[in-house]
Amino acid sequence: MQKTFSVSELITVFVLAVIAIFVVPCLNSMVPQTSFFYISDFAINLWGKYLCYAILAMTVDLLWGYTGLLSLGQRLYFALGGYMMGMYLMRMIGSLGQYHMPIPDFLVFLGWTRLPTFWKPFDSFPFALLMMVLLPGFLSLVFGFLAFRSRIRGVYFSILTQALTYAACLLFFRNNILMGGNNGFTDFKFMLGHDTRTASTQRGLYIASAFFLLIVYLGFKWLTGTKLGKVQRAIRDSENRVLFSGYAAANFKLFIFVVAGVVAGLAGALYVPQVGIINPGEMATDQSLEAVVWVAVGGRGTLIGPIIGAVFVNVIKSWATRAYPDYWPIILGGMFLLVVLFLPGGLVGLFGHCVNLVKHSTKKPDLTAEINAEVEAEPAAPVAAAATATGTHNPSE
Amino acid sequence: MTKSDPFRAFRSLRSLSSFFLVLLLALPAFAEDTAATGQLLCKAIVSEGDEQLKLVAALADTNSDLVRKVLVAWPNDGVYLIDPGNGAKLPVMLEDAQDADGKQKAVRIDTGDYLKDASGKPEAFFANDLDSVDCDLRLKKAIKNTLDLMTLNDPDPETRRSAVMKLGMSQNPAYVPILQARIPKEANHMVQDALNDAIAIIQLKNPDPTIQIPAIQKLGARTLIASRDVLTDVVNDKTSTPDEVKAAQQSLSLIDGHIGRVDFFGTLFRGLSLGSILLVVALGLAITFGLMGVINMAHGELIAVGAYTCYVVENVFHSGLWLSPFGLSFHIPGLNLGGWQFQTYFIFAIPAAFIMAALVGILLEVSVIRFLYRRPLESLLATWGVSLILQQSFHLVFGAANVQVDSPSWLSGNFTVSDVILGYNRLFVIGFAIVIVFLTWLLLTKTPLGLLIRAVMQNRNMAACMGVRTERVNMLTFAFGSGLAGLAGAFLSQIGNVGPNLGQNYIVDCFMTVVVGGVGNLFGTVYSALGIGTVDEILQQVFGSPVVGKITVLVCIILFLQWRPSGLFATKGRGLES
Repeated sequence: MQKTFSVSELITVFVLAVIAIFVVPCLNSMVPQTSFFYISDFAINLWGKYLCYAILAMTVDLLWGYTGLLSLGQRLYFALGGYMMGMYLMRMIGSLGQYHMPIPDFLVFLGWTRLPTFWKPFDSFPFALLMMVLLPGFLSLVFGFLAFRSRIRGVYFSILTQALTYAACLLFFRNNILMGGNNGFTDFKFMLGHDTRTASTQRGLYIASAFFLLIVYLGFKWLTGTKLGKVQRAIRDSENRVLFSGYAAANFKLFIFVVAGVVAGLAGALYVPQVGIINPGEMATDQSLEAVVWVAVGGRGTLIGPIIGAVFVNVIKSWATRAYPDYWPIILGGMFLLVVLFLPGGLVGLFGHCVNLVKHSTKKPDLTAEINAEVEAEPAAPVAAAATATGTHNPSE
Repeated sequence: MTKSDPFRAFRSLRSLSSFFLVLLLALPAFAEDTAATGQLLCKAIVSEGDEQLKLVAALADTNSDLVRKVLVAWPNDGVYLIDPGNGAKLPVMLEDAQDADGKQKAVRIDTGDYLKDASGKPEAFFANDLDSVDCDLRLKKAIKNTLDLMTLNDPDPETRRSAVMKLGMSQNPAYVPILQARIPKEANHMVQDALNDAIAIIQLKNPDPTIQIPAIQKLGARTLIASRDVLTDVVNDKTSTPDEVKAAQQSLSLIDGHIGRVDFFGTLFRGLSLGSILLVVALGLAITFGLMGVINMAHGELIAVGAYTCYVVENVFHSGLWLSPFGLSFHIPGLNLGGWQFQTYFIFAIPAAFIMAALVGILLEVSVIRFLYRRPLESLLATWGVSLILQQSFHLVFGAANVQVDSPSWLSGNFTVSDVILGYNRLFVIGFAIVIVFLTWLLLTKTPLGLLIRAVMQNRNMAACMGVRTERVNMLTFAFGSGLAGLAGAFLSQIGNVGPNLGQNYIVDCFMTVVVGGVGNLFGTVYSALGIGTVDEILQQVFGSPVVGKITVLVCIILFLQWRPSGLFATKGRGLES
């Protein structure tokens, strides 16, 4: 294994981070609106959303691309974190709601006159923050423990995560769990004393999202470079061999699953104040699958892939849902189909292929070069190789 | 308000006109009725006071359609008195058809002929110009009683039975002799029982304990659910003696026990039918997922293909269908069938749904799944892409709104066995599921194709070495699994609306059913579908909410898989990966 961080990569990450965290907000707040370089408040808000999606996509990739666990319920943890943030934001509305009562509007609507007990601690942001970590963490711990203990793997794991998400989605649609029911939470006003509807707060949230994305990127980069990361990939490639080598694969998987759940929850918490609403639709089963699409399109098994994929798909989505609202699901489905069938490495893999092609064409076409090229091409498409290895019923084994 | 008033007027006008339509249809029957009945009616109409009430009550014995029609029309101001010129008052009814002036011809009640003028031509009148026969509250009540008693003579036993029970529930002692008189005349056992029950219910009001207590006990022994309220009244009645209260309580406990059993069997039956729906829906998946190992997320959409095929077939049998997909617009002509010919559409829709879904399945297999047999996780993702595309295509072709498929008449309705209501459509799905499972079993075990399918599923490479064309077998197996999904869709179209997202509601349940049953084992799917269906129905009863029931079932399934990770019937193998 090479060093975790190569110099060129560090420089690229640094430059991109500086652009995302400093340059873009400055272009929004300091450049006059008439300027070519001006970035509108709307765009800042939109990109803040994309970055949250990118974090979610990275957690999907950490599970799928690095550990071989295709979770179809990652959006559930995202939404749970969002709900915890939503509860805090609902409390911050105070008496400014439609009914001018000191409790959230939907509770008034349901006939409550005082705050239910479990809502009370959400007046405090530190508690809400704790819950954003604990609730997704706890759920992923319990579910992961049960699933990995009984060696539910591969497709069965995917189906079960989907069933859990479906059950949770049905649960949150109900009014009597006092989490806003169908409409969820919306109409947020203040967060940590700042008005969430102002451009400056939104800019702050965007910077927080970009910063969190950077931390997650570096953290995952470090994590996958450690020995744990190696075991993780070994589990992906052949879980049985890992087991026979004396590793408790279930514990490794559980750890990764909980980390992914917590990070997704925090991303959801950052996402909610930016979009201004959280409802059970966020945890619908197809939402989780969409996050998987981002990873597949971007290129799984790489850390930059999910970021590219999430941003790329969502930019197209923002455009297509306005330009061709009727055809967007067909575009998304078709894109997915093409990527799965013809582009297992995603955009990153495609880029790798292109680089190789360029290298080929500059060299002389002699026999040794071709052999070399093939040897070189191998590491360029590890994902494709890994993909065929994952979950394959290899009769020789 | 200004808007609603004319609307209401229109509605009452409509009900009035439909009422006259009934009269019009009945007119030919006039001639058949004897003139004597007509005379009796006329006498009742023109007389007054208690005399009139008596005459109206006497009409109950006539058992004539004419009497029924006139008595229905009377309280609705549909019977008129006309002075034909000689000072006598002649009761008439007006024909529904109006001439150019809006006048209606009058029909004499006594003879059934048109009222004619001097020249022998039928006379026509404006309804507003005529005096309708008055009908006070007492008379209305008497007419209603007479009509109720007349329904006791209705040719339909079910109508007779409900009429008897209605009389019983009124607890009017005056009916006892009438009902008792009916018992020997009644040929139908069901109606005879109802007559006895009704008499017993009326006797509960009897102050004489020697009559009342046996009546109470009889109702308890008959476990008549309808009598629960009246028995409770006896218990709560302060004038009841302790003996009566005791007897009533005993009867009530008997009835409550019966209700408990009825609920139990009703739940069991609904659970079985829900399980059968699950089974029909999941069986196709059990083949594509369980046997072939293909995670087909588009399975739900194949179900929708079947349901929409049913919708199209129904419309072809009816008046045709306009479709406007992708900006185009074309018309599928209809056969304009009616009556029983239209009712047969479902028989044609079933194979059509199977074939359409199988064709879509073949297309899917050839274009996508063929390349992903060795990558199950990716087949999951690719088929999800397909499912998105198909869903949106339904959306574009058939519209976003749900469409309604009318059930053939032989699938609607129900019958009761010992108070347990059995719906025909629920019975049908149970039978349907049995037939499908049987046919699938036959296909897999008794046909050459089934042999090949099993061979390829057990060991693809070995089968290929033996000369089996595995690609073709895969395609046919997938087509068969998809066709089963289409059948499920055809059935689902009969019990609910059909929409683009129809399949999404079932896909998670489908996968759960197959996983719980044990992947690769069709009979495991049968057991798990019936089990999940019954448990779901019971939990729905316990929690009183379908959603909570469903959530609990999903959580139970997750926990169940802790105990048996590979389902009820695990396919035994020596490989670690399997």
